[in-house]
Amino acid sequence: MNEEKPTPTPNQKPQLGEAGEHPLSVLLFSWMRSKLAFRIFMAVLAALGAVLIGLEVVFSHRPVTSIVTVPGFFGIFGFVAFAIAVLSGWPLGKLLRRPEDYYETRSGEAGRDR
Amino acid sequence: MTVDRLLDFAVTINPGFYLIIAALLVAVAKDAFTRAVALIGGPGLALFAMLYPPVSGADVSRELFVGFELSLYRPDSLSLIFGLGFVLAAALGGVYSLHRRDRLQDAAGLVYAGAALGAIFAGDLITLVMFAELATLASALLVFAARTGPAYRAGMRFLTIQIIAGLLLTAGVALYGVEKGTFLIAELGGLWNGLVIGIIDPGSTGGMLILAGVGIKAAFPLVHNWLTDAYPNTTETGAVVLSPYTTTMAVYLLARFFAGYEPLIWIGAAMTIYPVFFAVMENDLRKVLAYSTNNQIGFMVCAVGIGSTLSINGAAAHAVAHIVFKGLLFMTMGAIQLRLGTTKASELGGLHRTMPWTALACLVGAASISALPFFAGYTSKTMIMTAAESGPGLFVVWLMLLFASAGVLEHSGIKVPFMAFFSHDSGKRPEEAPFNMLLAMGLSSGLCLIIGLYPGWFYELLPFRDQAQEFLVQDLFSISHILQQLQLLTFAVLAFMVLWWFRVYPPERPGVIIDVEWVWRKAGPMVGRALTRPLRAGGRIVSALTSSAIAGIQSASRQVFAAEGVVSRKFPLSATAILALCILGVVMLISLFQ
Repeated sequence: MNEEKPTPTPNQKPQLGEAGEHPLSVLLFSWMRSKLAFRIFMAVLAALGAVLIGLEVVFSHRPVTSIVTVPGFFGIFGFVAFAIAVLSGWPLGKLLRRPEDYYETRSGEAGRDR
Repeated sequence: MTVDRLLDFAVTINPGFYLIIAALLVAVAKDAFTRAVALIGGPGLALFAMLYPPVSGADVSRELFVGFELSLYRPDSLSLIFGLGFVLAAALGGVYSLHRRDRLQDAAGLVYAGAALGAIFAGDLITLVMFAELATLASALLVFAARTGPAYRAGMRFLTIQIIAGLLLTAGVALYGVEKGTFLIAELGGLWNGLVIGIIDPGSTGGMLILAGVGIKAAFPLVHNWLTDAYPNTTETGAVVLSPYTTTMAVYLLARFFAGYEPLIWIGAAMTIYPVFFAVMENDLRKVLAYSTNNQIGFMVCAVGIGSTLSINGAAAHAVAHIVFKGLLFMTMGAIQLRLGTTKASELGGLHRTMPWTALACLVGAASISALPFFAGYTSKTMIMTAAESGPGLFVVWLMLLFASAGVLEHSGIKVPFMAFFSHDSGKRPEEAPFNMLLAMGLSSGLCLIIGLYPGWFYELLPFRDQAQEFLVQDLFSISHILQQLQLLTFAVLAFMVLWWFRVYPPERPGVIIDVEWVWRKAGPMVGRALTRPLRAGGRIVSALTSSAIAGIQSASRQVFAAEGVVSRKFPLSATAILALCILGVVMLISLFQ
């Protein structure tokens, strides 16, 4: 059967979000769901990062005596440290991840020794 | 006048006792109102007693107990700030638990909080050990309270490790007290900047044992798995109640006994680093938070090791701030556990649609733990980072802490809220958390913001008040500090988005990540089985021989005593008479020679 969507009458407000969704969720978080929002947020962050480095150049009166005092050091360090922490998850996961019931069985594989 | 006298008396009692009395009331409470009054009023009374001590920096009273001089209550500025954290945690935990009536958990939670509070206000080592052991027993009950097979096994492992820590602590206290001729904390060492801290010599045998016991309770590297094993196996309220006390009490003991002990700097720095890698791989978000606790305790241990007034202030402030924001994060995961029965990232996602208040609270907790300026974590962690940056020869340590800060953002700042509430849509539409849970989360979020936005009152409570105020005026909100922290966080979030965009962020997969616990959960039993194999083989041979012997005897007996057996045959009367005479002869011979 072909069900048609009920068309909202002029007095009815069109529903935001999906059925049953909390109004606060619609208000605060629904903008996140489009791919474009992700791109825009990424661009905003990159711009904000550049502005923060610029502000450091303007406001920091520390002489550049070591790598730590170079403007942008904290930003670059944050980016690299975060990437290292996350990317280490690939090899370490392969090395250390076991089945859910690893500790509940003798061999570490369900069905083999039960 | 009677009320005044009652109040005067009330403030001379160790505040921990108020929580323990409230636990007794909760255990027998028949209606919800009495229960709620005990759960929230107990911490309220304890807070009142704590804030108005009759003296500060001295023993309130000394008692003689089986020949030992004890001081049940010795408040000072170090114990006050930790006590404040414990009382806040107890009250918030009480509100969070109101929806669920479980006498065991309610009473155990309050006894646990009371014992931990009692320990930090204890004025002697014997009272301290007693309270610490009581805290151990109560905390184990909280793990068992989930009443599932995995929880029971995790509880047994938790209890075993905590009992070992308790034994080390007790033995160390006994040896050290006998060696020094006193168990009173005030008499074990002198004042340092007006406070009794760093009073135990870790070079002595007793001191070493105390350090080992406290180290296990602080979840030092290699003995940290009791924490990551127990917390995820508790009920939705259990982890919230468990998270603030044992490790924070250990940080307090380290500050009181071993402040300025240099190896703690490196132990703490190591503690901040390795949980980052485990948290990245871990699928269970409550376990991620347990690793995150390990990481945050590392910051405090490192600060205690540095041992300056700034770093001790930082450790104390971070301990309290951590109680608030980690409690908040555990609360949000507890709400998910309650509604969906799991906190595994691979089964979650998109929950913000129906749990937006919980999601919002999680974001506040995430911002706080990531030390975003104007949130609680920034107020406390900046002190530790500044102490490490300005400490002589601590550049590498500072870099390690900086790396760990980016790591914290990864696992607790982004992974926990993103995987649970945003990320892909899991299709699950659970109901929002119960009102009391939302209230507790709201209060915790408010505290995170109040500490972050108005840190003046918080800094007033720190052990070295003048130095804290000086830091507040000159450093905390300096442009360079704010810009550096914002840069670190902005670029780290950018890194997350880039990695997610290029699909190189490791996906959440079901499974367990093996850690040091593998040694006693897997290797230990394997080695045990290998070593006992010859014995088991011998046992099997003996068992087979015994079985065949028994079968032989049974068969012979059947042949002799069965209906057609030998003894059932008809014998002539003379033969019977001869047999009777023989038996009589034997009896007579025996009686003759006796």
